[in-house]
Amino acid sequence: MTMSQTPVPARRPVLNEGVARYLRALAQPQGLVGCGLLLLLIAAALLAPVVFPGGVDQQSRDSFLPPSPAHPFGTDELGRDIFVRCIYALQVSVSLVIVSVPIAAVAGTLMGLSGAVSRLLGEGFQRLFDIILGFPSLVLGICIVIIIGPGWLSLVVTIVIFSLPQFGRLARGALLSEEGREYVLAARVLGVSKGKIMLRHILPNALDPIFVQVSLSMIAGIFIEAALSIVGLGIQPPTPSLGTLLNVGIRYVYVQPMYTAGPIIMLLLLALAFNLIADALNAQALKTRGE
Amino acid sequence: MRSSTPLIEVQNLRTAFAFGSRTVPALHDVSFEASPGRVLGIVGESGSGKSLTARAIMRMLPENASVEAGEARFDGRNLLELDENAMRAIRGAEIAMVFQDPQTALNPVKTVGWQIEEALIVHGAAKAGARSRAIELLSMVGIPEPERRIDEFPHQFSGGMRQRVVIAIAIANSARLIIADEPTTALDVTIQAQVLRLLVDLKQRLGIAVILITHDMGVVAEICDDIVVMYAGRVVERGTVEAVFADPQHPYTRDLLHSMPRIDSERRAELPTIPGATPDLSRLPPGCPFHPRCSLAEDVCRTSVPPLAALPGRPGRLTACHVAQRLGALPPRTAAIEAPVADRQFHDQAPILVVEDLVVEFSRGGLFGRTPPVRAVDHVSLDLRPGETLGLVGESGCGKTSLSRALVGLNPISAGKVEVDGMDVTGFDAAQSAKVREQVQYVFQDPYASLNPRLTIRQILSEALEQRGVARGAREAEAARLLDMVGLDPSYLERYPKAFSGGQRQRIGIARALAVEPRLLICDEPVSALDVSIQAQVINILAELRDRLGLGILFIAHDLSVVRHLSDRVAVMYLGRIVETGPAAEVYARPRHPYTAVLLSSTPRPVPDADAMSRKIVLGGDMPSPRNPPSGCRFRTRCPIGPLYHPDRQICVSDEPALSGAGAQKAACHFPDEAAGLVPSSSP
Repeated sequence: MTMSQTPVPARRPVLNEGVARYLRALAQPQGLVGCGLLLLLIAAALLAPVVFPGGVDQQSRDSFLPPSPAHPFGTDELGRDIFVRCIYALQVSVSLVIVSVPIAAVAGTLMGLSGAVSRLLGEGFQRLFDIILGFPSLVLGICIVIIIGPGWLSLVVTIVIFSLPQFGRLARGALLSEEGREYVLAARVLGVSKGKIMLRHILPNALDPIFVQVSLSMIAGIFIEAALSIVGLGIQPPTPSLGTLLNVGIRYVYVQPMYTAGPIIMLLLLALAFNLIADALNAQALKTRGE
Repeated sequence: MRSSTPLIEVQNLRTAFAFGSRTVPALHDVSFEASPGRVLGIVGESGSGKSLTARAIMRMLPENASVEAGEARFDGRNLLELDENAMRAIRGAEIAMVFQDPQTALNPVKTVGWQIEEALIVHGAAKAGARSRAIELLSMVGIPEPERRIDEFPHQFSGGMRQRVVIAIAIANSARLIIADEPTTALDVTIQAQVLRLLVDLKQRLGIAVILITHDMGVVAEICDDIVVMYAGRVVERGTVEAVFADPQHPYTRDLLHSMPRIDSERRAELPTIPGATPDLSRLPPGCPFHPRCSLAEDVCRTSVPPLAALPGRPGRLTACHVAQRLGALPPRTAAIEAPVADRQFHDQAPILVVEDLVVEFSRGGLFGRTPPVRAVDHVSLDLRPGETLGLVGESGCGKTSLSRALVGLNPISAGKVEVDGMDVTGFDAAQSAKVREQVQYVFQDPYASLNPRLTIRQILSEALEQRGVARGAREAEAARLLDMVGLDPSYLERYPKAFSGGQRQRIGIARALAVEPRLLICDEPVSALDVSIQAQVINILAELRDRLGLGILFIAHDLSVVRHLSDRVAVMYLGRIVETGPAAEVYARPRHPYTAVLLSSTPRPVPDADAMSRKIVLGGDMPSPRNPPSGCRFRTRCPIGPLYHPDRQICVSDEPALSGAGAQKAACHFPDEAAGLVPSSSP
């Protein structure tokens, strides 16, 4: 046999290749800035109790102080430091989306791919997504709050339900385009089982857009929390969340503009972080697609 | 017969691509000229720089490419130095371009009339007369009922008709030079013949100069007057078509002509091949770019680039070959021409595949009912024995892929019977599927889509070996053996598909199919996406494996020359039916169905012949939709011996002919004896 002449190279680690791609994406300038900003915001939220012990509810007689080095965003109607409350509010917002978006991503992707197992199931889920998309998120949120009662849990459920269709449709789209690919047909002709075709051929090629969508859904989730809390259906005071802060802040917008602007700045920073990450992942996905 | 002064002269054109801070030269000293009333063919494989040359002349280079040196004199003006406004006035008015893909060259939301009128108006025609001129142009390019069709949209035209519209736009302003970039590559052979005839006709009637860019030597031989052969961004040979085809003076041109399977010559055991693959522009070898693949390469070829120079005693012939220039001509080919191989008979063996009256229907359906089914394959029967090759020929949409995919369970079977190795597998239940999986494998057309880009070659082959039940530990050695079998180095196992060229990927696809040790291989257009110089390698591997392993091969292709080389028997499909079948030699020599005759006649032959186009039978019209096939004989709406030309032959309209014939050759035609007369007797 001639093959003994050429040494066959060692097996490459399989998993690392996929993970390395996403790490490479995040190592791009956009990705680095996005990740850095996100980590900074999370660190600030986690470290807030250490840095400002008791600061979040600490009242004083100095209500509506203008911004100053001591109170960068000024103080609110009870003399609490708005900056500290904004940092604390990040805890709620970030923890919400970090829990709910991955749940939605996994569930939505599975629902989207279910068409491969049963046509009827796949079609059924797509109609369900149509119905969810037809509901305004606020109305959907109100319905859920009525059923579960206001609080963290109902926000998680709302964000999950609202994010499902995006993932489901992306996965479905990838499934339909991958199913017709010749390498999938080749695997079918070889008799490879449906499950293995799904894991080896379809899922890896469907993951790129889903990762990008995770970042985008995080932003949407944060805004859903804010929207529901503004109307009083989300996080209940005195716990600060970006939405509850806005809820109260709007009432004092002429007296203390920073009461409204502070949470909005935090929202924008979070959105910027996730957007940069999404862009970096997307750029990498397009690059591999082009090869 | 050389005509007056050249219309365009390109001198020492050099372009380069910029990738970040790196520049990669793409064209090196390209020089040629085109004269009025003549067709210049620029031939080359993918990456040879032929399209880039055209775009450089049109000043439509991609953003990261730039012209480094050289000039392109059109009518005394150097196109490469004109400003953008002056260039805009020339584009479309004096030099027009016809692109490869007629699907994307027309705007889908505007009527074709609007698009022709636009071309007229931007170059100063009055709006009032534009419409009548557009109708005139449509009739000039042979579109029936131009008054009605001018208000239709591109999607209402077939591919060939769309390409005619594109040509109408190109000649709208009486351009003196038309650059056609692979104008027929996306079209079927019968439609290709229509479009080529139109180009020749326009050249003769309007006296325009045509630059035809193509990879197909056959097309060049049929309609070009002069030829420029490009390889790796350089012109390697120039001359008149007759001279270059009769006596090529560059080893690349010569090897390329020899490695093409020929429709009109006898069948040989093995095609002469050009080793290796077309080089990547960014990693060109030093010296002559062809030397790593050249059988005549000498030391000097490895170090210095041969200039394009005239050969003594051969006026008008230029070649870029050190050997030819030193000796005055290329030394004769040393490789012996193999003896012709007769078609083999396989009657003594039990068939591995038997198909009886197979029907494949498709219908789309959703929540709101289903569309009426389209019958893609209509009562097709065939059989195949181990070691035998059956060529299945037909144009796109004839149902050949639908048929082959139904045989492996990828398409639903609506009626009929499929037997593999004596077992009825029509139902494709678990046991039947298992039988098919271990006996029948499939090689796909597109080498770029048939390998998962995320898996290494080892993973791809291991998946197949796992299906055969090879133990995990033994898969590695087996995968290496498979690669070796298709002529690839086992050290490639850890690479991803993107590291391979098209020909290598196709070999990997073959290795994957062979991993389960099947007895029947279905090859669906396995070489049509490959460069000509690579096709021969893949064809040879298929033939060698077939003979060594005793494989039966169902070889599907639209290229009759390739099918001729490989097949023992052929079956010709039209609109879901087999219209003719029989031993390859008999069918090719004496077709008994007019469609076979037309296919044979339409296929371009790499033999220069000034009258080739005029002697061809060129079919009018397009293949009817399988949704709504004609009554009686399905070919009657285009048939050159049918009721179109013989109104008395109403039997073709009323009765559907059955496959019949005395010997092994059978045809479904009411007048089978007239078909052979349709093929023009080929010139020597």
